[in-house]
Order: sequence, then structure tokens, then C-alpha cells
Amino acid sequence: MQVSLSWLSTHIDLSSYTVPQLSDLLTFAGVEVEGIEERGLSTDKVVVAQIQSFVPLPKSDKLSICQVDDGSGTLRQIVCGAKNFKEGDKVPLALPGAVLPGGFEIKEGKLRGVDSMGMMCSGKELGLGEDHSGLLILDAEAPVGTPFKKLYPVEADVLFDLEITPNRPDLLSHLGLARELAALTGLPLKGERHHANASTKTKKAADEQIVIKAAEACPLYTARLIKGVKVGPSPEWLRVRLESIGLRPINSIVDITNYVMMEMGQSLHCFDLDKLSGGIVVRMADEGEKILALDGQSYTLQADDLVIADSKRPVAVAGVMGGEETGVTEATVNVLLEAAYFAPSGIRRTSRRLGLSSDSSYRFERGMDPQQVLGGSELATKLILSIAGGTAEDVVQVAGEAPALVGEVTLDEERARKLLGTPDMSGDEMHAILEKLGLTKKAANKHESRWGIPSYRLDLLRPVDLVEELARVIGLDRVPSRQVAVASPVEAADRTYDFAMGLRQTLAGRGFYEAQTLRLVSEAQLADSLGGGQGVAVKNPLSEDHTTLRPSIVPGLVATAALNIRQGLHRLRFFEIGRVFLALPKGGSREEERLAVLLSGPVSPTSWHGREPQAADVHELVGQIQNLTRTPIEVRPAKENSANYLLTSELRAGNRVLGWIAQMHPARARAIDARHPVYVAELLLSALRQGSTGPAKFEELPRFPSMTRDVAMEVPVDLANAKVAAFFASQKHPLFVGAEVFDVFMDPSGAKIAKDRKSIAWTLTYRSSDKTLETAEVDAAHAAILSALEKTLPATVRR
Amino acid sequence: MLSQLDSLKTEALAALDAAQDESALEAVRVNFLGKKGSVTALSQGMKDVPVEQKKEVGAKLNEVRTAITEGIDAKKLALQAAQDAKAVEGIDITLPGRPGAGTGALHPLTQIRDLAIRTLRRMGFALAEGPEIETEWHCFDALNTPADHPARNEKDTFYLPDGRLLRTHTSSVQIRTMEAAKTLPIRIIAPGSAYRRDEIDATHLSVFNQLEGLYVSQDVSLGDLKGTLEYFFREIFGAGTAVRFRPHFFPFTEPSFEIDVKLEAKGKDARWIEIAGCGMVDPAVFAEINKARGDNLFDPETTTGFAFGLGLDRQAMIMHGITDIRHLIENDVRFLQQFAA
Repeated sequence: MQVSLSWLSTHIDLSSYTVPQLSDLLTFAGVEVEGIEERGLSTDKVVVAQIQSFVPLPKSDKLSICQVDDGSGTLRQIVCGAKNFKEGDKVPLALPGAVLPGGFEIKEGKLRGVDSMGMMCSGKELGLGEDHSGLLILDAEAPVGTPFKKLYPVEADVLFDLEITPNRPDLLSHLGLARELAALTGLPLKGERHHANASTKTKKAADEQIVIKAAEACPLYTARLIKGVKVGPSPEWLRVRLESIGLRPINSIVDITNYVMMEMGQSLHCFDLDKLSGGIVVRMADEGEKILALDGQSYTLQADDLVIADSKRPVAVAGVMGGEETGVTEATVNVLLEAAYFAPSGIRRTSRRLGLSSDSSYRFERGMDPQQVLGGSELATKLILSIAGGTAEDVVQVAGEAPALVGEVTLDEERARKLLGTPDMSGDEMHAILEKLGLTKKAANKHESRWGIPSYRLDLLRPVDLVEELARVIGLDRVPSRQVAVASPVEAADRTYDFAMGLRQTLAGRGFYEAQTLRLVSEAQLADSLGGGQGVAVKNPLSEDHTTLRPSIVPGLVATAALNIRQGLHRLRFFEIGRVFLALPKGGSREEERLAVLLSGPVSPTSWHGREPQAADVHELVGQIQNLTRTPIEVRPAKENSANYLLTSELRAGNRVLGWIAQMHPARARAIDARHPVYVAELLLSALRQGSTGPAKFEELPRFPSMTRDVAMEVPVDLANAKVAAFFASQKHPLFVGAEVFDVFMDPSGAKIAKDRKSIAWTLTYRSSDKTLETAEVDAAHAAILSALEKTLPATVRR
Repeated sequence: MLSQLDSLKTEALAALDAAQDESALEAVRVNFLGKKGSVTALSQGMKDVPVEQKKEVGAKLNEVRTAITEGIDAKKLALQAAQDAKAVEGIDITLPGRPGAGTGALHPLTQIRDLAIRTLRRMGFALAEGPEIETEWHCFDALNTPADHPARNEKDTFYLPDGRLLRTHTSSVQIRTMEAAKTLPIRIIAPGSAYRRDEIDATHLSVFNQLEGLYVSQDVSLGDLKGTLEYFFREIFGAGTAVRFRPHFFPFTEPSFEIDVKLEAKGKDARWIEIAGCGMVDPAVFAEINKARGDNLFDPETTTGFAFGLGLDRQAMIMHGITDIRHLIENDVRFLQQFAA
């Protein structure tokens, strides 16, 4: 909200505060100052000057050296960056010592080594509008040397842009803010308090005048008839007030209603009485009913929208905007001045649904003080009579009554001290603060006090609301800091986090970059998923790019790869640990943490040592994953691949599914301009962690040496290594410890080995736990295993 | 014989002198001292030497043999030393190192999150988590948010067709934790993602990262909140960092504050930067939790607590001087490698 210091000063004398002090005062009362703009000039040191001559500054295409007559009798040299002037032009000149809006002080100085004894100004620099395109060129008749402020008597003012939190609608007016500042500073409020002393006579409105058919949405509606007005432009003071806070003056009647709203927070509306048919009906709209609003748009209403209607049609969307047809124009002679209290929730609903908000709806939906309705009506009437003339009916017609929204609240002083952490705060101090804020002490004993709440403090309903007021006023500087530590038992989330963090560090240490990609992905990206789950679609996505909660992290890593390839990077090592979202077949969803890895390009970065290292293959990926867990990993090729992948395989550790790996389909890899094959993996964090929980168990080191025997065998080219491994794993010979593959050889030409065969070689290890083995014992054990091998597998041992 | 021995010695020492490597040395040894070597052959002639000369010849023979053996040993050492001296010949130690597997890096968000977690763990906070797809009750109702609060609007919040939503803050984990708690105190932090329907631009993401904190016990005061968060921000931004608490409004805390820290941006004066929101848990939240639990563990008469939440993306941007939030989700290696350890 825009607030004018000059306007505020009609209610409270703030001259003992500087602008930064006021800003701090508001900030620490909970009103955030989002901007401060100073307008107008108060200094005499900006004068009318005439440019006598100018030459370009050497080696500069923007700056000129100007000789300027400031009326002192000697020419003054000014270096200037503007271009929009010619010799003889008159411009505002800020002399050294002048302080411009924003606190900018002009000094003598040098620009590019050339003396400059002041500054010629644009309109914006002088707090006159936004024009910053060049110097403000003045009327040729302006007398040289005259203080500029005499030419442009713009009232010096400071505009605060304030963020009023939703719990404090009472601060949405100048009077409301002045009231708050008075409480905080102890300064007295001056001028009229408006709503507190509404003195107009009222009478219960007859049914043909006002009928409220929706008392919940509109508990109170008042109307005052003012006849014989002459609508025209507002007087200067009123226009200045409105313009200072960014409102456009329209005509005297409309301006007055806006003024009253910004002055005291009561939103009003004026109808052209002669365009109304019959009395006012406050009712819910008929479904589909239409209204042409003051903004020129037609709105279709629903049964839960509150309207002000006459006997024929809706004439206003209550509290939000008036109707075009019954609005006040220059031709209006008789007006009906509406002042009412509308319940916040209905206004909010209608405003939101119609996408139509106004300063009025903004205030109604946050909550207005029902007790100020008549005060607002009275202030507006007074202003209309004095500005637009006419005569007002001597009574206000009233339908319904002002609801009591606040009552009395009890403060338990010991609890307040405990919650605040201020054991030394006395009851008297608390009382003083609450009284300063306008609360009335109704009763008090040693421990607690009961307080009457002013009608405008809609946020003070519970004891804790009073504690908040105390905290706000004393500020946290008064509260001593306290630190406690609590012995917390480790939670499952801690274990998961530590495990994931360990993985992250391991992978970063192995040359992988950690990515963090958006969890909302596009429909198209889903095709890059791994693991087969369905994502969860959002009902109201912002764009086609972010429609679905990812069922897999890999799509994000593929996008990451694509982005980096566009930057010329072809050695790609990425991982991400994060959450995926899986739609369940019977509805609902499951969230789980996963690790995804993407790998492509040379196994190590190129360097001066020699030629580019070989590109990674799928075995590097398997190796990288195996090295993340103690448990041996089994790779099970899947029966099918999705469109974007080849070699899709399930990874298992024992009977747990660990995750999936695949090679990106060459067509997909081409689409992202990948130069090397791209490999991806996605692993379930919980399954990975299962293989690494608990302390590792120590095994005694062997006391006797082992012996090894190699075996080379020919097998069909499509025999999976896993079959051979499974054979060796099943061998129970007491001396046999284990076996490892160390060579695989194929020859597609068929020259060295038949095309449909391959040679694989394994090293077998033998050991006894209680003696050093004899050669003959090992040979016998080896022969037994080889013979079993040939019986079990389609393998020919090369002897 | 004596003269023969002398000339053999001369001959052998000359050969040793000429030998340039291990195998030439070995050849000298074989030629003179080997089974068929010339010195060996002469020593076999000892039996024919007259008795009176045996002593003299024997001594000479030993002298020659010793001289050759020592000569060989000395030369061997000299050759080794010459070879050792060449061990680093031609190495330009100023060349770049071998890259190994290359550098990798943790994402800056991970780093800032971990720093925050480590700091808070030192004060005895345990980790907690909750679903990102939430019920409206956990995200809003239980957090004392009015039914017609603007944040619930479909314009601002992502919904699923089944009525659930994507949590708009990690504060829903406060509710999850209190719902499931068996005893007090509760002292948790919950890092996690949250969602708001904001167009992505230089300062907004539709998915962002927060860290939530909650401490609930008896007699938790504003002083605890202040002390905890002052400690936290000074650990993160440096011991002398100024921290201030501005009164603010959140539906689920009262009193509520926003926290600013005073930081210097590159080449600019230090200024206050908004960094977190916090407050004392609103008694209405406890009441709603009790209602859901069906007990009175969070007796609003005796239970108090504080809660805080901070944006990790924003904190990473402030800490590293990152100018565009989109860098955090694009994962350009040129960006990521600036944060390598």
C-alpha cells in the first residue's frame, strides 16, 4: 500500500523522525517497508540556469562540457551526459550542496578529469515524475537564477510502499497507520478521529428503501441520499492527495469515496439515484445474472455472489465494484451514498472467481471495522456537501446492524513472560503497552488482566494475540537469547540422509557431478524414464513442460546431458539423489528416494598424456554401481526395452531389486547430439542401503597360502557370463575358494575362433584353512571342477 | 708367473675401466675370475710353482684377485649411481597432473543443506520427513490456515485430480511429526522440496527447497527461538553476522517474525537480507493436532514450541553470489564445477 507522509502528518506530527527512523519504526512494528520515494524539492539550491555554450568532451561520445549562466554573474562549467538541449535552453541546475530527492547530495567534482561544478537535472532527478530521458527543458521565460521550487511548487512528500500483513487490515488507511504510529511513539493523534464520533442521526430503513436478503454476507447496509450535487473535477488538495498515492482523480464524488477509503479505511460507493429503479435490495445473485461493471467489462454472476440490486437488476458487485449504468458521472444530480459492512469470505470468493479486485474488495476481504461504517458515511457526506454542494437527507437509513467481531481477552501474565522468555517483564509494563495500543483494562489481579479490544483490532481474539502485541512492541532485542541442546534419538530420516550423503560424496569423488533437476517433468520427458513406474499428473500445471511428478530421475539427467552437450561437453558424468512419485494402480501414490546415474564418453578426461581415452561402455556403469555396495550385484537382462533404451536390465542383490540400467537407444542419443553411447541407471536408495546396514563382520585372514589355476574354455557366443559364474558359485569342493573371469575373446571374422563361439578364461583359487596345499591336491580338485564344468555347461575346456 | 699376474691385473683394471654397463662388468668377471678365467687358469698353475716361490706367488695371486673383485664392486656402484642420477631425467614437473577419474562436485544446494543440517544437529535436532504430495489438511487446515486463504487457490498451488496437493511448504512435516509423536520433546529439522505455482524466472522456481525446524516442549520461549537461530545464522554466515527479527504474520505461528541477516554483497555496502520466517507455534495448531490424535499430548495450556523455515535456494544464492536461480536446476557443468571441493 502507498502511504503519503504528508497525509499521515495530518493525523500525527512525525517531524521529530527522519525518514529512515520512520522506516525502522514501521519495520519493527511488523509493517515491511518495501520502498521509499521522495517527491518534490525542499532545497533552494536548484535554480533556473541557461546553457550559453557547449562542446563535446574529447574522447567521449556522450558527455559535453557546458558553460551555464546560473544568474550569479559568472558562468559555471558543468559536464553533462544528456543530449536533448541546445544553446540558450533553460534547465534546472543543482548547485553544490543541493540535496536531491533520495538524499543525493551534489558536490563539485571532476568527470574524466574535467571540472564540473554542479548538475543539470532531469524531471525524475527532481522528484517530478518518471521522465529520465534527458534534461527537463524549462519555459524560455523562466528567470535565470530563480529557485526551481518556485516554478514547480510540488509539495515535498515521502511515499512509503508498505506491505500490510493480512492480520492487520486496520492499517490499510492513513488514519489506521497514524493510530499505530501514535501507539508506538507515544505521540498524540491530532485532527478528527472520524469513526469514533459519528453523530449523524439514523433510522431503520423501510423495506421499500433497503432490504437485506443475505444477512450473513451483509449484516449492515446504510444509505444516505444527497440531492442537488454538482459533479465536477475535485479541488486541487483532493487531487494531490489521491495522485500522491497513485490514484487517478475521476470526479469529485468518486474521488471523495476513494479519499475516505484511504483516509480511514471505510470503502463506500455512490450510485446515481436517478438511475436506480426503486429501493436497494442486498441479495445473492441469480445464477447467470450479468452485470456491466465500472471497468467496462461484463461479468456473469453465480448464486454465491453478493450483489446490490435495485428492483430490476444488480447495480453493484457488493464490495467489489459498482455497475457502469448506475455510476456517478458529471451529469449526476442526486446520489445514494452506500456505506456497508460485507463479510470477508464472500467478497474474497467473488473477487477471486471473477478475477476482479479493487482497493475496496482488498479491504473488505481482509476485514473492515463494522463500527466505522457510519463514520465513513458521515465524512463522505460532509466532503460532498462542501465540494459538490447539494443537500443531504438529515438521517442515514440503516438496515441490519454492525456485528460485534471482537470482545474481551484475558492476559495470563506469567504465561506471557514464559512464552516471551522475559522473566523480568512486569505486569505494569504489559498493561502500559496494551493501553498504548488502544485496549481498555476491564479487570486485573496479580496474575491476569482482562482487556477490551478496540473494534478495529480484528486480530485480537485470544490470549496469545495479546502476547504477540507485547512481543511486537518490546522487540526481540529485549528478549535474552537462550540455547538448549536436546539429546535426540537418531531417526530413520537421519540414517537415510547420512547414507545418501555418503553416496553423494563417493560419486563426486569419482568424478561425477551432482545434478538437481525439477521434479515436475513434461509428458515427452516421461519416455526417458527407467523402472517402469507411472508418474503422477498435476491437475493444474503451469505449462506443458511441467505436467507430471517424475516417476524416475533419469529424464532430468537426460535433459542435463542435453544441455551440457549443447555447451560442447561430451564426457558426461552425472548423478542425482532425490524423490520419485509413483501412481498406484488402485489410486493414490507412493514416494521413494532414488539414485540415478548417467555416464557417457571417455573413461577419463583427455589430457596432454596422449590420445583420448576410450569411451565408457556399459561395463563401466555396472562397475561403478557394484562399487557402491558390499553385496554382489546380479544383472538380469529384461525381456523388453522401452523405445528410448537398449540393454535394459534389472539389477538385483540377493532377492532384492536394486534398480535398473540401460543404454540409451542410438536414435535417442542422436536426438540430443550425443557423440558417445549414453548409459543410465536408476537405483532404489532403500534397497541399496539394505546391503550396507550394520557394522561389517570381520573374517579371519587365511593363515596358509592359496594356489591358483587358470582355465580357458570355449562356449557358445551367447552364453551369459552369469551362467558360468553361477556354476562356480555352486561348487562345494572343500579346497575351492572362488573364481574370477579374466578374459573374454571373440572373433567376428571367425579366423581365430568360430563366429558362434567365444573363449572365456577364469582364474580359480584353492586354499586349505589348516595347511599349505600340495600341487597334486590342487590339480586333483581343479580336474574335478573342470569335469563338472563340462558336464554342466556347453563348454569345452582348452587343455 | 709374477709378471704374468701383474700384466693380467693391468689388463683387468683397464677392461673394468672400459665397461659401461652391468653385462660388460659381468664379462670382465667371467674373463678373469670365472671358472675358465685367466686368473683362475694361472691359479691352477700354482701346483707347478717351486716350493720356495709358492708363498710369494700365492700372495700375488690373492692381491690380483682382490684388486679385480674390488674393482668390479666399485665399478658396479659407480654404474648404479650414474643410472640413479638419470632417474628423473627429462621430467617437466610443471606439466598438469593426470586427471584420474576427473573432478566431480556436490551441487551447491546439497552443500548448503548439509552445512545447515550439520549445524543444527550440533544443537540436537534430528531429521524428519514427510510426503511431498500432501492432503489439504496437513498443508493448510492443521496449520491454522483459513479455508478461503489465497494460498489454497488453484492459481497458487498445484493440485492433483484426487484433491491432494503438492505441499507449498515443508511446514506440513511439522504436522506429520506431531501426529506421529509418542512423547515430548520434539526437536526436528526437515529439509525438502516444496511447490508453488510460480512461473520460472530469475528469482522463482515452481519447485524449491526449504528447511523446516520445530522444537516443542514445556516452556519453550521466544528466547530459545532467538538464541537458536542467531547461533545458526552466525555459524553459517560468520561469527560477527548481525541478525534481526522483524515482526511478521504467519497463520501457524504467533508471534511470528521474519529474520534478516546483514551481509555484504560484492562491492556494495552491507544490507539486510530477508532469509527466514519463524515464530512460536500457534496454540490453534496444537489444538488441531490433539483433535486428530484423539489425546492431549500437545496440551495448549502447557505446551509451547517454536518453528522456523528457510529457503535453501535463496540461501545458496546469497552465500555464493548466484544471480539467477535457474542455474540451480540447469546443472551446467561450468556452473557446477565452481563448487567442487
